[in-house]
Amino acid sequence: MKYTGIEKRKARWGYVFVTPAVVLFLMFSLYPMLNALYNTFFNMKLLSLKPPKFVGLANYAYILTSEAFWKSMKATAIFTLGAFIPLTVFSLVLGLYITTRNRGQKALQLMLYTPAILSSVVAALIWMLIFDPRGLGNAFVNFLFQTPGINHNWLTDHIMLQISTITIYVWKYIGYFTIIYVTGIAKIPQSTLEAATIDGASAMQTVMRVIMPLLKPTTMMVSIVAMLNSLKSFSTQYLFTQRGAPLEPVNVVTLNIYNTAMRDLNISRACVMSFLLFFMMMVLTLVRMKSSERDVTVY
Amino acid sequence: MKKAMWIYLIVMMALLMPLSAKGVPEVALDLSAPVKLTIWTHEDANRTKLEKQLISEFTAKNPNVTVDYQTYPSGKMRELLTVAFSANQGPDIFNQSQSVIRQFVVEGRTSALNPAWIGEKSLKAITDRYLPGALEAVEFEGGVYGMPLEYTNLSLFVNKQIFREAGLDAEKDYPKTWEDVMALSEKLVLRNGEIITRRGFDFRYPSYTMQFLPMVEQLGGQLISDDGKKAIIGDEAWLKFFEYMRQWGPKGKNLGGPTYVAPRTAFDLNKNEIAMSESGIYQMARMKSVNPTFYNSGDWMVVPYPQWADAKQEVAGAIACHYYLVNGQIPEAKQVWAWRLVDFMLSHSEDYLTQVNLVQPTYKLFASETFKAIPYSAVFVHDMERAELVYYDDISSAVNDKFKAAVEAAMLQGEDPAKVLVSFRKAVQDLIDQR
Repeated sequence: MKYTGIEKRKARWGYVFVTPAVVLFLMFSLYPMLNALYNTFFNMKLLSLKPPKFVGLANYAYILTSEAFWKSMKATAIFTLGAFIPLTVFSLVLGLYITTRNRGQKALQLMLYTPAILSSVVAALIWMLIFDPRGLGNAFVNFLFQTPGINHNWLTDHIMLQISTITIYVWKYIGYFTIIYVTGIAKIPQSTLEAATIDGASAMQTVMRVIMPLLKPTTMMVSIVAMLNSLKSFSTQYLFTQRGAPLEPVNVVTLNIYNTAMRDLNISRACVMSFLLFFMMMVLTLVRMKSSERDVTVY
Repeated sequence: MKKAMWIYLIVMMALLMPLSAKGVPEVALDLSAPVKLTIWTHEDANRTKLEKQLISEFTAKNPNVTVDYQTYPSGKMRELLTVAFSANQGPDIFNQSQSVIRQFVVEGRTSALNPAWIGEKSLKAITDRYLPGALEAVEFEGGVYGMPLEYTNLSLFVNKQIFREAGLDAEKDYPKTWEDVMALSEKLVLRNGEIITRRGFDFRYPSYTMQFLPMVEQLGGQLISDDGKKAIIGDEAWLKFFEYMRQWGPKGKNLGGPTYVAPRTAFDLNKNEIAMSESGIYQMARMKSVNPTFYNSGDWMVVPYPQWADAKQEVAGAIACHYYLVNGQIPEAKQVWAWRLVDFMLSHSEDYLTQVNLVQPTYKLFASETFKAIPYSAVFVHDMERAELVYYDDISSAVNDKFKAAVEAAMLQGEDPAKVLVSFRKAVQDLIDQR
């Protein structure tokens, strides 16, 4: 009989426990991804019953030389930068503000987190009403700047439409990232903060020299998740364009993928764009992780 | 051991062979077996009520048939059907307009109607029921793949009261040309600063090929050449059209836009939000149901689709035809019952007209007193005689989206019409070349 140590037996149980997750991942994530990659080499049409023809790299050549694709990349880059930077910065500021309050912490967290539990469709519909020419958006901004009667064209002007989609996204997800920061700040040992106070550090110095360096893993996690989620954003842009907003300013890659597959029925070209988006997300994540590995602070 | 393994493998292969065998022995159709039919159709409260009642009558006569009737928002139907059929899970019966269904027909997803299934001797007996051209979009390689549910063209609804208050006489001053439409809209529009509180007229934005293409055709332009190979014919016509739309939008004369409430909905409510809108005969039933006071007031009228002052040909708003189709991937017995149900429902064309104001393009209905008694039916028929079916093709759905993007670029972003035309031509040509 072969000898098995306690560690080895424990590891076997580990395999048993992770098997369901691995099987689900293989079936619902890895297989569709590999299948999508395989489809990119064919001219597959969504409704066609005929076998697709092998076209090699022709779909890649088409997409990479397509003006519409690069316009989509530009729209994605604008949206991602516009959403991910404020999400990371403001959620950190709000996280710090909440943890330094003596009262009302839970109420503030609840208030900020509530939009995150709304479905994106409901959120977009609420904001459609706000951005209606006769809605609250124009009324509020015109009251604030004393500019009665100005239509800010929230849903029709190129730049305003981009601002509108970014605003909704930040409003919806800022609470989620704030909660992550609140948890990260709560993990910092009280003794470290007390030591800083005893050493005569001011509040600003404590934040900048103690809390911020110790929050680097949380900041990295928040920035990666916020960036990836922004790159994958779809529903707000989709709903706005369904309700009459122009496509081009908000034609992010995900929306282009959807329209190419569902409207143009060209599933192979949609798969090419999906694969390129996946590749881009992977590279950006690796770059972000590498840049954070360089200066990890431990007290 | 090896021998036993070989025997095992041969036995297993022999057992599995029938599973891969091609062809199925012919079995006589069993039409008495229980059948459950699923119908997907777009939301229309009035029609749903009528169709549920007709389905009850049908299932009472045919107790082995049960029906699951499901409604979805009209804007969602195309995507739902595309997803369902691409997974080979389409409904048994569904309805959509000519521009959407053509690709389902061409790709072999729908059932060809066998006249014997519905008690007709030949296909000619079926096609003879309908006005010329009404079945065009569902005819393919000698077969008929759908039956028309509604035949809708757009004419102009005018609110007489708003005209009166602006010092106009709607009966005389209603717009005859697109130039009139813009001039009257400038007169009738109300704004709070830049924000429009009442539109004179506004377009029916999602229906680009239905609403806007006839405007270009009036000027001699074409979407696709007659041989189907070249996109965008007649640059002058297109440029004039895009310039008109640029003037209409917020960066031009600011007369309306696609993000305002749908004009026909605002028109029915009669809350002084719009003076003119475009719609079909069915709109009158909706108006009657939503706002009976306005419907009965006599303060509205319907006039023909406008033409350009320098139109090269008279073309009215295109006709959208919604068809009921049957899934061609379901068992044949189910197809037979599905066609029978469709035929039964559609045989009540006068009920569809009186209860829902839906017009089926049958000779019988058009000749009926019921049709002639519908208010302004003569105006709609006058326009129909100058109209064709909305552009349909296996790429028509995608072309409509490219048309939408082009109009938005001119109208909402104020882009130069020449630039818009270049992008639009490229987008449509790409779709043609992919076929």
